[in-house]
Amino acid sequence: MDLFVRSVKFLSRLFGYFAAALIAISVIVVCHMVFVRYALNQNTIWQTDFVTYSLVAATFVGSPYVLMERGHVNVDILPLYAGPRLRWWLALFAAAVTLFFAVTMTVFTAALWHESWANSWASDTMWRVRLWIPYSALPIGLGLLTLQCLADLVGLINGREQPFGISRGHGV
Amino acid sequence: MSPGTQGALVMLITLVILLSGAPVAFSLGTLAIVFIALFQGFDALQVVAETFYAGLNDFTLVSIPMFVLMGAAIGSSPAGKDLYEALDRWLYRLPGGLVMSNIGACALFAALTGSSPATCAAIGKMGIPEMRKRGYPDDIATGSICAGGTLGILIPPSITFILYGIATETSIGRLFLAGVIPGLMLTGLFVLWTLFLMWKRGFRAHAAEFRYSWKQKFQSIPKVAPFLAVVVGVMYVLYGGIATPSEAAGVGAALCVVMAMVIYRMWNPKQLWAILRDTTRESVMILMIIAASVVFGYMLTSLYLTQTLATAIAELEVNRWVLMALINLFLLIAGCFIPPAAIILMTSPILLPIITAAGFDPVWFGVIVTINMEIGLITPPVGLNLYVINAIAPDVKLMTIMRGAFPYVMCMILAIVILSVFPEIATWLPDHMMGGAK
Repeated sequence: MDLFVRSVKFLSRLFGYFAAALIAISVIVVCHMVFVRYALNQNTIWQTDFVTYSLVAATFVGSPYVLMERGHVNVDILPLYAGPRLRWWLALFAAAVTLFFAVTMTVFTAALWHESWANSWASDTMWRVRLWIPYSALPIGLGLLTLQCLADLVGLINGREQPFGISRGHGV
Repeated sequence: MSPGTQGALVMLITLVILLSGAPVAFSLGTLAIVFIALFQGFDALQVVAETFYAGLNDFTLVSIPMFVLMGAAIGSSPAGKDLYEALDRWLYRLPGGLVMSNIGACALFAALTGSSPATCAAIGKMGIPEMRKRGYPDDIATGSICAGGTLGILIPPSITFILYGIATETSIGRLFLAGVIPGLMLTGLFVLWTLFLMWKRGFRAHAAEFRYSWKQKFQSIPKVAPFLAVVVGVMYVLYGGIATPSEAAGVGAALCVVMAMVIYRMWNPKQLWAILRDTTRESVMILMIIAASVVFGYMLTSLYLTQTLATAIAELEVNRWVLMALINLFLLIAGCFIPPAAIILMTSPILLPIITAAGFDPVWFGVIVTINMEIGLITPPVGLNLYVINAIAPDVKLMTIMRGAFPYVMCMILAIVILSVFPEIATWLPDHMMGGAK
């Protein structure tokens, strides 16, 4: 079980770096686009699509890393005021909600990706991007989100992770 | 089941799931999937994946990670310290000058970073000890910084305005400009209230006894001025229609990172990674909520819940100001529990048709919503700024900080009243610089 948790954390971190790199590259591409459009007075073809798709991809593949780091914002009023026992059950319920979302959306987005690949869908912009490429970020990111959620659940059940990251006695 | 009963059920279960502590984005996504399947059947779920993707497939959204990066670069540099020092050195001779430099530094730093907690942390670290050293009571020292930090989401560039703009299809440039005068007005109200409070308690804000030389006064400016110039530049290209918000923010972000590297020598890969890591965390979190709220919004619309609510409110035939007061009350209560991004994305599309039908300006309403969100940042139980200040000044009790912050909540409510009586305070600048709303 430990190997599973460690492997998933490694993958989430790796994809977190990838998401950060996509954001950094997007900044450079936006600057390039501004230069080409306003300094050289030329049309831009691929930059808008590239940046938009990169940030969509960064959101999905970066999501498991953010979940691991507890960066997805939640309403933590009840967990903060709850006793340790109720807090544990709340954490289990919250993980179940996340898991349901991640599994369902992985299935739906995998179907969408397959459809775009089988029918050779292309974007209706000048760049004519093969849509299976940007769509692939969805099942990959959400699939990994499923794994990260399972790893969190394992940590919660075997007691290695504190519910909501709140250690005993640190509630309100 | 009638749409009214469905609406009540959706609202109740949404509240329960959100309060359980599950991440907002995944809660909204789960709720949307469950309710579509429950009320429309499994076949209706076919569009969910595409709607989820389409929610993010918009170039305007690129401005969010760019502005977040801009704020992270400035926030992780010592620019806050320099800004505070610069203002203090110029204003220290004035009675109450320390209050002005603290709240002024909060307003300026908030404009630079767009982040309330970052402002509280950066300015509070210097401002609170300095105020306490000069004899200011603990509640005033902590409360004023707590409130000053909230200005970040009102003074442009502000991510809250971008989210509102996207959710309601209102011009982001217009919203940014609409935040300027109310932001300055609120800054003025905070300063006046602090000075009044000190006067009432018999505490005289004497001018400092020491003097700074002209050389010292000018020393801090060259470090801070370039960052301020970038923000002003971003605003200029935005409202001048020279570039889109995403383009302006992208160039602004790149410039801020380069300036942090040059001016503050932040070459170290660890420092640069910290900036990028914070940007990734915050951007992914916000964008995920946006994608999920689009699916949630789709569910509300396809079940006719949005339309039913709008019709029900229209049929109430109450005075438009009673309606506005009720909406404010709702936003205030929601703001005390739910993060601003989630409230704006969930409620704005529902509230917009109601407020436009009642004859209110959507840009003006954006400012009102944002001030409501500001109040949520300094009111318990989830007022983030309170806890940031508590971490900076652990020897001051949380209760004292809350007591100190409370009068500033009243200042914000007063600002909402003033803006309701004189909506031009928000709409004049965008109308004047960008022409009347279409």
